Amino acid sequence: MTTATLAAPDQGAAVRIDRLFLGLALASASILIAVVLLDHQPASAALIVGGFGLGVAFLKAEFSYTASWRRFLTRGEAGGLLGGLIVIAICACVVVPVAALSPKYGGAIAPLGPSLIIGAFVFAVGMQLANGCGSGTLYTVGGGSGRMLVALLFFVIGSVLGSLSLPAFLTLGGIDPVLASDYLGAWGGLALTLGSIATAGACVIAVARKRGANFMPSRRYIIGGVIIGLLCVAVFAAGGHPWSVTFAFTVWGARAATALGFDLSHAAFWQWPGPKRALAESVLSDTSSLTDLGMLFGAMAAAAASKPFATGPWPPLKSLAAAAIGGLLMGWGARLGFGCNIGAFVGGVASGSLHGWLWFLAALPGCVVGIRLRPLFGLSRE
Amino acid sequence: MRTVYIAVVVLGVAAILADHLSSPSTGRALSPEDFAGACAPCGAPCPSKK
Repeated sequence: MTTATLAAPDQGAAVRIDRLFLGLALASASILIAVVLLDHQPASAALIVGGFGLGVAFLKAEFSYTASWRRFLTRGEAGGLLGGLIVIAICACVVVPVAALSPKYGGAIAPLGPSLIIGAFVFAVGMQLANGCGSGTLYTVGGGSGRMLVALLFFVIGSVLGSLSLPAFLTLGGIDPVLASDYLGAWGGLALTLGSIATAGACVIAVARKRGANFMPSRRYIIGGVIIGLLCVAVFAAGGHPWSVTFAFTVWGARAATALGFDLSHAAFWQWPGPKRALAESVLSDTSSLTDLGMLFGAMAAAAASKPFATGPWPPLKSLAAAAIGGLLMGWGARLGFGCNIGAFVGGVASGSLHGWLWFLAALPGCVVGIRLRPLFGLSRE
Repeated sequence: MRTVYIAVVVLGVAAILADHLSSPSTGRALSPEDFAGACAPCGAPCPSKK
């Protein structure tokens, strides 16, 4: 038997622990932590632990950027988006001043141009088809969704294809990153960033009120948002940059492609210093891989600690097709758009970088298109 | 689905360990943004540097 039943006296409900998968998740995370500690890399261990905490927090709070965007666009409900803004505001309070004042830390920045806009739009279409963004894919895979396992596989493939496309799209033009702290200093930049987040919050509340929809985040979302925000700060402290998700997928795919005999080393993207180093060195030398792996095992541990793990049937073929297409679009879009909800939107806005808001504005119409396509795959628009 | 998951996790962790043991590692974990000239989380250069 792989499951055990414990009484939960406070709720009177039974909590079923899946010992096999709880053990597998804890053992896997422990092995990775031990390996990086053997290399004398405590910051790497901290990133795995931070990712683990994020996996638990996302799963327990059922925190979903994808569903939040969809509920806002279809019903006008703003609670989910406001929960997401709580995460960004908490993160910004540390990232903007620290990145401006300490040379050891940096914000999430990106150039403004067609690549960012096209990438964010395509990513958002894929996000609604797959029913999960970068972080959402990670924690639902960790939570036992076979459908999202398919989405992750195609996310990785799309991400490698995106890495091959990005240099060409950058030739379409663009301008250098615009960072609030570059113009207003550390504290002025923080004030402007928090002001922009408050303005966005006021706008989504106004839309919700106009449509007669609820705009209050649930208690679970508020608590989840605060915990996730604090964990984002911890990941920033350990890694030196805001939390990002999708670069790891590109690295995993490129390394798998290399193992299968494809030579990516001559591609322009893989000749830039950062990607070149990531392709050559251990995946455990890449900050986003460390947090992603931690998040997967954290979500798996949290899921297995509360009920039997991955016991549901595989979804219908049309739903799997949506996951595959969505994953492919997300992967390609994330490379062109310089990240996902986390790396581009949360990290960008929390750094006071204009590209975060531009990403958000470009992703909104992409979500509308994605939501309209969902019924073709047997998925609800809501 | 559980069998698929067990296979993915076991093979995945084994692949990570094999990759780690067979690849060079020059020190602390880095992000592509840590490198000079990087203008995005993926390490893309700034438009003005081209």
